[in-house]
Amino acid sequence: MTQSYEVFLGCAIPSRFNNYESSMRAVAKELGIKLIDFDGASCCGTVVLKSIDEHSWLSMGGRNLALAEQRGHDIVTPCNGCFGSLKDTAHVLHDKKQLKAVNKVLLGLGLEYTGKVKVRHFVEVLYDLKDEIAKKIVKPLDGLKIAFHPGCHLIRPSNVAEFDDPELPGKVDELLELTGAKSVSWGLKLKCCGSPLLIANEDIATEILREKMKSAKEAGANCVVTNCPACHTQFDVQAIGIKDENDESLELPALFITQILGLAMGLDSEQIGFELNRVPLDPISDILGL
Amino acid sequence: MTESWGQFKSFESKKFKALDPKFTAEVCKLTGGQDLTTCFQCAKCSAGCPVSDKVNIQIHEVMRMLVFGLTEVLQTDMIWLCTTCYTCQERCPQGIDITDILFGLKNMAYRKGIAPSGYVTSAKALYDVGKLYSPTEWEREDLGLDDVPELDVSETKKMLNKTKLLKLQEGM
Repeated sequence: MTQSYEVFLGCAIPSRFNNYESSMRAVAKELGIKLIDFDGASCCGTVVLKSIDEHSWLSMGGRNLALAEQRGHDIVTPCNGCFGSLKDTAHVLHDKKQLKAVNKVLLGLGLEYTGKVKVRHFVEVLYDLKDEIAKKIVKPLDGLKIAFHPGCHLIRPSNVAEFDDPELPGKVDELLELTGAKSVSWGLKLKCCGSPLLIANEDIATEILREKMKSAKEAGANCVVTNCPACHTQFDVQAIGIKDENDESLELPALFITQILGLAMGLDSEQIGFELNRVPLDPISDILGL
Repeated sequence: MTESWGQFKSFESKKFKALDPKFTAEVCKLTGGQDLTTCFQCAKCSAGCPVSDKVNIQIHEVMRMLVFGLTEVLQTDMIWLCTTCYTCQERCPQGIDITDILFGLKNMAYRKGIAPSGYVTSAKALYDVGKLYSPTEWEREDLGLDDVPELDVSETKKMLNKTKLLKLQEGM
């Protein structure tokens, strides 16, 4: 059965990580997932706006939910930030008083939200199709030792995210290991990447990233994999040139889950978009066959 | 420029004039605030917090300040250095929605002008463009990606006029 969703890209992916969108679309096509463009999408709402004003945040997210609802589609997003924010908005709008206040704002746009839309992360949809994915692996990635970073809003708070065990998640790791790669266990795997602090204090954001990179290296990983553009900003932009206290480089190639799956499924390398990955992929280029 | 936030740096030799029960009651009304007063200071929140070793005032101390009705809490660095990772909320044995309470405190602080300047800039961007960032067209062309669907900014502006996003700091 073909699944179809309105695809909510958010702001960060089209701005910084078009290789994530491109590889996601390639994988979706191969698996028969239909992605419908999300007309009129604004910012998801984001924790930034939630920090400033809850009512504005709920209205911003509520408008996006109402648009999809009006068109009768569920939403899929490849971004943890959008996933967390839209799901959290839907969660808070279970409260009738909050819903009424938001609909009062939406009425001015001729919209109404009633709570019928489902919001899913792209990796959730992939997990449902793991048996199909397993059958499509044509290029095993043996020797790839992945420090997988799930990110916070994919799994926490678990009563909102409703995806995986918040203390011992393993679903995306299962997907990654279908390719023959190994998802290594690393001490700080579940710790925040620090990205939300880039707006308030870049030094502290970088310190958290440094701790994460040290942990990944100590665990013997030869790359980091994410499913979120905000986390990826840390691992593939802010991490460039990062060093430990002995001046040793802590850089590791950073890839998106859809690049790993796309490559192992033998998809068109142009669409996987490795040339846009910023940290050099040289240490793993043999394994990737680049 | 000195940032307006994080000015409350230590409890050392601090004397508090009054414990304000109204402030505690106000925080209890925030989204997630309903169980606030059941906090018994186990500090599990701080044990799992990714910035515990980087802040002046830790999250369990923030929770205590709230129960005591200390409005100085809005001046702590913990409020704006929360990464929103939700680990504290996930683990709280009393089921207190700690991270969500922090969002409410940020809302209160923002209205008083106590916020990192990046948030003020972001509020303006979200109002003007309806998004935080714009697409990088040349990358999309190279990858054969279609244009990102258009947003009619007048719609989000109309909405954010109604919620008074750009007027929140008036009267501070």
